Amino acid sequence: MEISDESGSPALSEDPFEKEIRAIFQDTLGLIHIALVAHYGLEEGEATELEKDLYVWFVRFCMRPGNRSPKDSRPFLLVACCQFAREYQRYVVGSGIRETDEKVRRILEREPADVAHDFSKSLELLNYRHHPDA
Amino acid sequence: MARILNFPRRQTAAEMAPDDALCAAREYFERFGDGETRQDERTPSDPNVLTALFALLRDSWETCPQRVSDMSVEIHGALNRASGKVGLFDERQYFLGESALIAATSLRFMGRNADASRWLDRADMSFRRTINPAPCLANVSYARLTISFVENRFEDLLELLPALTQEFRNLQMHLEADKCEFLMARTLLGLGRKVEAVERLEQLSSSAALSSDAALYGNVLTYLGNTYSEAGRYEEAARVYDHALPAVVKSGRTGLAAALKWSYGDTSRSLGKLEQAVSLYRAAQHDFAAAGMTNYVAMLHLVNAESLLALSRPREAEWEILAALPTIEEQKMVPEGFAAVALLKESVRRRKTDPNALRELREHLQKQN
Repeated sequence: MEISDESGSPALSEDPFEKEIRAIFQDTLGLIHIALVAHYGLEEGEATELEKDLYVWFVRFCMRPGNRSPKDSRPFLLVACCQFAREYQRYVVGSGIRETDEKVRRILEREPADVAHDFSKSLELLNYRHHPDA
Repeated sequence: MARILNFPRRQTAAEMAPDDALCAAREYFERFGDGETRQDERTPSDPNVLTALFALLRDSWETCPQRVSDMSVEIHGALNRASGKVGLFDERQYFLGESALIAATSLRFMGRNADASRWLDRADMSFRRTINPAPCLANVSYARLTISFVENRFEDLLELLPALTQEFRNLQMHLEADKCEFLMARTLLGLGRKVEAVERLEQLSSSAALSSDAALYGNVLTYLGNTYSEAGRYEEAARVYDHALPAVVKSGRTGLAAALKWSYGDTSRSLGKLEQAVSLYRAAQHDFAAAGMTNYVAMLHLVNAESLLALSRPREAEWEILAALPTIEEQKMVPEGFAAVALLKESVRRRKTDPNALRELREHLQKQN
């Protein structure tokens, strides 16, 4: 997904804080994509659309009063990702547009916050890979 | 972590870029209530405009609370009516919470504490439905404690403030934690525990987080200077006021700047620096006039008249008194038939100002305010 082409504006992209947010989002995007496609069973195109929304949301979320750094806000990004994926997939399945398999059915029954918590462990691994001395 | 209800999907309409959003927010802020169009037709719902608008509202809630309260109540209503059409995911709930919190704070500035509490309940309900409610709910708790403070419920504050301060520290919201410390210092002052209050204010004045908020930093220093001055530590007070002035001026809070200059003027007078006192009082008058606080302008005319009499400049003192009297009478700042006014008027007419009547009137007005 190309964030700069789809979701940002030139003025926004010059802001150093927004650059940091962009970097963190980009860093987490692989995990988000896996969550959406491999776990929640979204199609590629649907996942890409959702990722754009997630980016726009994450920029504003990081700017809310009291929110921590973009890096520390990643667990919330994953919760948002799982919450939206579940709502979307439930809608698609519920309206009969798509059938779902057992694996997706099981994940749709779980609380998105719990699923996100599991994904957060992958974030820890990601952190370790980028900063093994930290 | 909160459970989020009813995540809405983004609408297809493009959202505004931040610069355009700021312009739109400013335009709404300036045109609000002009009566040209039905308000709900132009109440913004774009998340970027709302974000910019809330920053403007927070900057203005102290100086024009009525306007800010009207606007935030209007925005809250529009967001409620808009149902699922605002923002992404939890943003509608977040904006509902923010608008309610801003309404509550501006209502508290107007002394409407019961209304403010009701709006805090609304803010609480909305924030609980956001993805990361802890920082927002901590802000709501702080707003509740400020209401306890203006209602002189100091014991409640002594009990609850330490936990909230710690919560802000845990959330790494150090500026908000410092606000709690400042509220605690003012609570201790309210309880007459001045030594503890001064200790806290001194500690607070060197906080790194505080330096990022010019208004709060200036306010802390002003309180510290005032407590030094009340304890007769005039030299220390003057030094603190000197540090406070640039911060307060930078903050753009005209009322706060005026109050600081007034206090600094009093301290200068206590130090025998009458010329400096007169100059500071005049600067304070200028700020109060700019803020439309004409009663304080009138009071400062009287304060200045006393200093000018002490400087053996009776003609200038008369001008000050003559400038003050119309406002005092028009705004009924003293009860009808208040003897000192008549005595003062008569003495000025005879060009022999009565210092006792002047002092009596000034003290009466300061007690009322």
